[in-house]
Amino acid sequence: MKRIIQWGMSLFFVLMASNAFAVADLNPEGKFKVIPAIMMISLLVLFVMVGVFSKAKDTEDYWAAGRGVGQIGGGMAIASNWMSAASYLGMAGLIYLKGYFAISYVLGWTGGYVLLLVLMAGQVRRYGKYTAPDFVGDRYYSTTARLMSALIVILISFVYAVGQYKGIGMMFNWIFGINYQTSVIVGTAVVLTYVLISGMLGATKNMQVQYVVIVITFFLPLFFIASKLGYFSAVPQIGYGAAVWDIGHAEHGISAAAAEPSYYLPFAKYTMYHWFALCMTLMLGTAGLPHVIGRFYVVPRVSDARWQVVWGLFCIALVYWTAPCYASFAKFSNLLGTAGTITPDAIVVNAAELAGLPEWFAGFLAAGGVSAAFSTVGGLLMAGSSAFAHDIYFRVMNPNATEESKMKVARIGTIILGVSIVIVALNPPALIAQITAVAFALGGNTFFPLFLLGLWWSRTTKEAAIVGMIVGLVVTFGSMLIPKASLLAYYIPFTSSTVVGAPLVILTMIIVSYMTPEPSAEIKTLLYKVHNDA
Amino acid sequence: MEQDVNINFFKPVGDFMKKDVAMKKKLILVWFFATYGFLFLLKLVADPNDVVELTLSTGEVITQVTGKSFLTETQFLGFPFHWWYSAQFLILLFIGLCYIYCKFIDKLEAEHGK
Repeated sequence: MKRIIQWGMSLFFVLMASNAFAVADLNPEGKFKVIPAIMMISLLVLFVMVGVFSKAKDTEDYWAAGRGVGQIGGGMAIASNWMSAASYLGMAGLIYLKGYFAISYVLGWTGGYVLLLVLMAGQVRRYGKYTAPDFVGDRYYSTTARLMSALIVILISFVYAVGQYKGIGMMFNWIFGINYQTSVIVGTAVVLTYVLISGMLGATKNMQVQYVVIVITFFLPLFFIASKLGYFSAVPQIGYGAAVWDIGHAEHGISAAAAEPSYYLPFAKYTMYHWFALCMTLMLGTAGLPHVIGRFYVVPRVSDARWQVVWGLFCIALVYWTAPCYASFAKFSNLLGTAGTITPDAIVVNAAELAGLPEWFAGFLAAGGVSAAFSTVGGLLMAGSSAFAHDIYFRVMNPNATEESKMKVARIGTIILGVSIVIVALNPPALIAQITAVAFALGGNTFFPLFLLGLWWSRTTKEAAIVGMIVGLVVTFGSMLIPKASLLAYYIPFTSSTVVGAPLVILTMIIVSYMTPEPSAEIKTLLYKVHNDA
Repeated sequence: MEQDVNINFFKPVGDFMKKDVAMKKKLILVWFFATYGFLFLLKLVADPNDVVELTLSTGEVITQVTGKSFLTETQFLGFPFHWWYSAQFLILLFIGLCYIYCKFIDKLEAEHGK
């Protein structure tokens, strides 16, 4: 298994070396922006304070937040844990570049929750485990499966967090005028500090604060942008619709030569298959991300676990209804001929600049983008380090470990993970949302089939789980190695490998299950109880 | 006789699981067709004369419809209709599906004393 991690790492280094996505300096004059900086710093202080005042007491707290969080609060925590730099910064950037095609990101990252709720949330909570590898280890009665799934959790956290670090680095670069590399390192130091101090209980409270910050910063500048550009500004989420229309139809001051019908036409830039593949990958990935599934253990009652999903999705939707506004308004300003630089991953900030708003509006957005990235990185580091401390160290290496030593290992794990992510993030291999999509593909190719079959088909055996994970890893990372020009790369793009991977893994698991001895009556009885007992 | 404890999504056991699974199937069908059925519909009704040349990653050049149709050329709340449907309505539908399921399962659990 170590091999696979090394392999994944070296793969990333290869991708890094190609350097096709060198990060543009957003602040070439190195100007220190005073008001945005004050906003950013006071937000960070606020987060750390909330963390300090709700410090984790013991390991139980550190991982599962004492299992006592309400429905709406839990929903907000799901949402802020979920909404990362990819949602806040990356999604708008992709819509700006790819138009209607990128709406598949918006749908993929919301529609997956339907699957998660209907097929998993309640059952996972009833199964009553702490972490995703805990479930895999017990359900598939195998230490090997537990270890492998713990390593996959770490791998997913790793890939996912790279995209977040990039977002943090870019925003710090924009605000403080320090270069991107230094920004990533400074940002990491701050994230690590507050994750280590707070643990997940603090993190849950922090997440609620962060959600409020994300929504306010994301909504407020939009009213001004919409009204500046002459669109219905009372509800900019409706008002931007006319801008989408005007971009394609050369109205509202856009010249016929500048109009871009490919922005709104569904198949002007990509094929239907790619839309489908990407959307499906993100949906299945959503239902297979360990740090998302992990949130259901925090809830005391099964019913609460489910209602949290509804609230969480609603809280997420508020932001996802809004992201295309930034993309469309930036596109509109751009086509009008407004001068200004555009960096796709900073489009949200650019949109405010292009509309000619004062600097502090953009500062507001940059601060919000950083808090979005922070909340997700917090959750990811937590998931990764608990996989290390709980599932690998405590369950396999040292079952007699004391609370104290578990806690220590969790903290060391957080630091190792946090620092190793920096190395890759210093020279990110792709756009934020694309890097994040790879993490989703990995979740969709491994955990989604494991949970789906594990919960819904008691015949699934441990051998099937192990082979399934191997196939899932091969498909995910294999898709990155296929030469771009081959036909295979067309059908299995690296951001969308789950569309082929998940069915393949499920099929493999079914075949292997029939070839290997049935799980014991105990395993089956437990699963039967999950579905049929109180 | 030993109790049958096998679980299979397609062969639900017990009254509770049967009703639960029946509902899940309905919701998943709605979820799938609302999202991907619409995508297919866009392709189906697209104006066959409005085409664009695309270079695929394989280097192959294909000609395909841009997807222009009454779905994209009708304005709704200012939006091209398909944009509104995908970027706003579908998300609302997802929330609705989740809401319906939660209501349904809470009631079913209460009926079965869970």
